[in-house]
Amino acid sequence: MNPLKKLFDQLESHFTGSGKFKALEPLFDATKTLFFFPSPKTTTIPFIRDHLDLKRYMSFVILALFPVLLFGIYNTGYQSGLAQGECFGLIDSFLVGASYVLPIIIVSYAVGFLWEIIFAVIRKHKISEGFLVTGLLFPLTLPPTIPLWQVAIGISFGVVIGKEVFGGTGRNILNPALTARAFLFFSYPVSMSGDIWVAVHKTIDGFTGATALSITGSSGNNIITTLSEAGFDLPHLFWGIIPGSIGETSAICCLLGATFLMITGIASYRIIMGGILGLVVTSVLFYVVSDNVSTWSYAGPFYHLCAGGFLFGISFMATDPVTAPGTNPARWFYGFSIGFFTIIIRVVNPAFVEGVMLAILFMNIFSPLLDHIIIQYKLSKRIPNV
Amino acid sequence: MEKIQISKGLKIKLAGMADTSLTRITPQNTVAVSALDITHIRPKLLVKERQPVKTGTPLFCDKRDQSIQYVSPATGTIKKIIFGQRRRLLEVVIEFDPQDSFIAFESFSRSDIDLMQKEQLIAHLKKGGLWQCFRQFPSKDHADSDHHPPLIIVSLNGNDIFSPYPEILLDNQHDIFEFGLEILKKFTPRIVVQVNESHYEKLGPIQKWITHTVPDMFPSWDPGVVLYHLKQSADDNLSWCISLDHLMMISKFMSTGQYPVEKVITLKKSGSNNAHILTRQGVSIKTIDPMIDSNHMITTGLFNGRILSQNDHLGFFENTIHMMPSSQSELMFGFIRPGIQSHSVSNTFLSSLRDIDFQLDASLHGEERACINCGYCESICPNDIMPHFLMKALASDNIEEALQLGLLDCCRCGLCSYTCPSKIELTTIFSNAIDTYYKDKA
Repeated sequence: MNPLKKLFDQLESHFTGSGKFKALEPLFDATKTLFFFPSPKTTTIPFIRDHLDLKRYMSFVILALFPVLLFGIYNTGYQSGLAQGECFGLIDSFLVGASYVLPIIIVSYAVGFLWEIIFAVIRKHKISEGFLVTGLLFPLTLPPTIPLWQVAIGISFGVVIGKEVFGGTGRNILNPALTARAFLFFSYPVSMSGDIWVAVHKTIDGFTGATALSITGSSGNNIITTLSEAGFDLPHLFWGIIPGSIGETSAICCLLGATFLMITGIASYRIIMGGILGLVVTSVLFYVVSDNVSTWSYAGPFYHLCAGGFLFGISFMATDPVTAPGTNPARWFYGFSIGFFTIIIRVVNPAFVEGVMLAILFMNIFSPLLDHIIIQYKLSKRIPNV
Repeated sequence: MEKIQISKGLKIKLAGMADTSLTRITPQNTVAVSALDITHIRPKLLVKERQPVKTGTPLFCDKRDQSIQYVSPATGTIKKIIFGQRRRLLEVVIEFDPQDSFIAFESFSRSDIDLMQKEQLIAHLKKGGLWQCFRQFPSKDHADSDHHPPLIIVSLNGNDIFSPYPEILLDNQHDIFEFGLEILKKFTPRIVVQVNESHYEKLGPIQKWITHTVPDMFPSWDPGVVLYHLKQSADDNLSWCISLDHLMMISKFMSTGQYPVEKVITLKKSGSNNAHILTRQGVSIKTIDPMIDSNHMITTGLFNGRILSQNDHLGFFENTIHMMPSSQSELMFGFIRPGIQSHSVSNTFLSSLRDIDFQLDASLHGEERACINCGYCESICPNDIMPHFLMKALASDNIEEALQLGLLDCCRCGLCSYTCPSKIELTTIFSNAIDTYYKDKA
């Protein structure tokens, strides 16, 4: 018998029944089932079941996040080097990046899981796998300079107010990771905007850690020329060697993850495609009607697609099935609207540089309404059977 | 012949499909009439233990309509009447003689049928223990004999992927089938005879009686699915259905005046040749497979049916037996294994890249979690129900909304539960809700 299995079997009596640590049963169960996949006998129809379960479902999102995560770590280190006037190699970039990113991820997981365990113990249910994703998504949306105590507060807000007060996984109306980010964004604007996108202790003169979206061309200069001069030409934006939130910079890594999720059927391709479509259509419209060449309204679809966190948001945040609509036509509309509102906020609203987070949260609110409309339409087509 | 377009369902290749051979297994010692596979019944016993019975003697009837009788499929003595909890009737076990002595019923020719009154026919079928072959939607209770069904659906394929093939059931019995269809015409002019495409090819002269074909995709041939795709108005909701083996029984009964005791079943057991078996109604599991051990789960269907134990007998509505290995496994890091043999509707396993015959086991592959609104259930439901929303309507006791969402269109095929990654027992929830609603309404 597997020695690890033996260990779990020995420990089991302490955590179940009248054991000493009965209160911690959800924690024990979560750890045990992580190693040993539970597969109880079926007791009711149908007697056979699909092999996909929620553990695998959520792990696949984590898998899809790996390119984004690894590149995020590398880029954090690389940008840090640039700001110090050095050009780090691959290993150096990774090590420096990891020293900034890993603590954020560890704090996010540790604090978030603490809340999950507390709620699981109080409510006497098993720990849901949903947090595996939330706990990783949230750090990836943060700037690498974020103070760790803010990470802890943010994830606490996201898990408790964003999810658990509604009843836990499956019942929340807002994406918990984005709720956490929005909380930090509005509560600690100094840590979440301005020149905070590059993690470094001391910078060389004249360095600004701004993001592409905060740039506007001065006095009639074309926005695209201005972006290129600032180092934000399309290839840079596409590959992602630019300052920004940890996970959002690389368009290609986000697309890789999105493709993986769409092929495996974990994320709804309708949301992702709808979102990209919405963004492209809206940005083309602005490009056509805009007469101010120096603002982002004149940037066109490619720049809008690759700059900022849109691809990250639409691939990993908007596709959270719990907060997205549950009907297919509504999913198209939901995705499209996220793309649409992202551009609207970026271009028309001067208060916010980036609009993905707000667009997704806004559409989260509307997804039950979208579902309701689609369901009513479908029911009107149905021959009643009452 | 019309093709019914059904776009949703489960396309799966399963290992161990039965071949077309037919072996004969004669039951030893006992047969039984089970009450467990008869939905909604409230049985009233008509016999006592140790009482001698003939083939065709009524054993119990339905308290709700005492003219509907369930009769003995063999001649012998009542060995035991088995009750479950709260004195619920489970089985009436008969120790039987190899020599049948039949209760003689009137026999009819084709011209007799033409002249016969419908009421007379109904009474005759009820007395012969065969009226219950007709099931009425949406509850699938026995048909209400006062009701004029808008259509009757004859399903040539059974409820399960492994049900006996229609070409075996119909082999050299074309006349009997035709006679059966004549009888059905007494009830309604609109009769739908449907079979799935792959079996249609093999039916030969029967083809001319087929009105509809359905895709080779579970559960397209389920009468509930066919009805959903054919119905044009709410009146069609109260249609009837009958399976091929029952139609053949009625036909044989009418033409010979004897209760038909033979039955073709399939046995699906992993790692063995699966053939069709010709046996008697109410045969025991032990007779079919004396070697079966307790590591197997014995069921009468993959997606629906009931769980049997070694000592149980096959019911009137059941014609396939599955013996699936069901050890409770705990694979290390099972949630992230490549899964080259694991079937999934999603593409999250490497098996989706391979074209293989799947071997299935009776295991949940995960634990129950909250619904995450992923929509897998909706994308597989053949009757366009949105199971995730229906489940939530039922969870909040909103029966009106549930009915609007199509609760009664649910054919209990089990695909929503099959595919749910949160392992929510959707089919059981719906099935119970339909039954409760039907009971409350009655």
